[in-house]
Amino acid sequence: MLGSIFVTFLKIGAFTIGGGYAMIPLIRSEVVKRHKWLSEEEFMDGLAAAQSCPGPIAINISAYVGFRLRRYSGLLVATLGALLPSLIIILIIASSLTRFADLESVRRVFHALKPAVTALIAFPVFQMSRSGGVNLKTLWIPVLAAGLVSFLFVSPVYLIIAAILWALSESVPSGDRKP
Amino acid sequence: MTLLIMLAVFTKIGLFSVGGGYAILAMIKQEVVLNYGWLTEAEFFDIVAVSQMTPGPIAINAATFIGYQKSGIAGAVVCTLGVILPSLLLMLLITLSYVKLRHKPWFNRIFYRLRPLAIGLIAAAAIMAGRDAIRDWFSVGIFAVALLLTWKWKINPFLLLIGAGIVGFFLG
Repeated sequence: MLGSIFVTFLKIGAFTIGGGYAMIPLIRSEVVKRHKWLSEEEFMDGLAAAQSCPGPIAINISAYVGFRLRRYSGLLVATLGALLPSLIIILIIASSLTRFADLESVRRVFHALKPAVTALIAFPVFQMSRSGGVNLKTLWIPVLAAGLVSFLFVSPVYLIIAAILWALSESVPSGDRKP
Repeated sequence: MTLLIMLAVFTKIGLFSVGGGYAILAMIKQEVVLNYGWLTEAEFFDIVAVSQMTPGPIAINAATFIGYQKSGIAGAVVCTLGVILPSLLLMLLITLSYVKLRHKPWFNRIFYRLRPLAIGLIAAAAIMAGRDAIRDWFSVGIFAVALLLTWKWKINPFLLLIGAGIVGFFLG
């Protein structure tokens, strides 16, 4: 199991291009769909927690998945697996004198990779909406949040704090998840 | 001594940046360019460009890169550890309390409100990625085909990325 966690996260780490959010669909595809290690709901909660915790989201969610699977050793193995590919590649690039980003072939590859990554990030928004509790009554929350963060560059911190305060101020327990 | 300072600076960055990669990049710039002067602004943006083009979280890539430029492999390891250690510990605490408390109504209420917000933040990430990625007809086409393959044929995302890379190499 530990070996399988390590290899899975190594693969995820090697294929995450374009930052932490690009890692989320890959983790979901491996952990929820392929290995069925966590349910969609458990993954969704891990994602919400990872966004609320300081630090890189991809590492936070790797730590969450690893810990849920095999406690402390799982956490260690999953984060290490997610980190290693980029660490090694960065060391190779930084130690060579090539101006990697200026290479014509690299530019061409990224010309196609970036829109593909965008599609990969965008797709789970719709797929995860149900397990995320998005319905007609709560639709305004993701829409407002997406608008504030992507167009007005509001820091997600304020939205997370607001959501937590709002939840705690509610007197009627509305949070019991319905099956 | 330098290594210790670097560890402290990147631990601070890891501890105070909530909201993912781009928030962390802003913190790194503040510390590394403005406060310590380890890099010029131009060098910093070069590193960010490379970090976006290499696998892995951008902020961690940038930390590794900056660490390597300052103090070689030891610096790379120190800065990478510094940026992830605080969040690993905090995330461990959050996961522990989630496992323990998730059936308590007040705790569940927090997640009930955080879940739709989490979806919104992913949508924001997609919009921001799209703004950078979708600039011409070629990228519109790739985006549409990728979305269709994912939606209709449930193509494996790893295969999709390999395919897009190959298409880009020959046609991009």
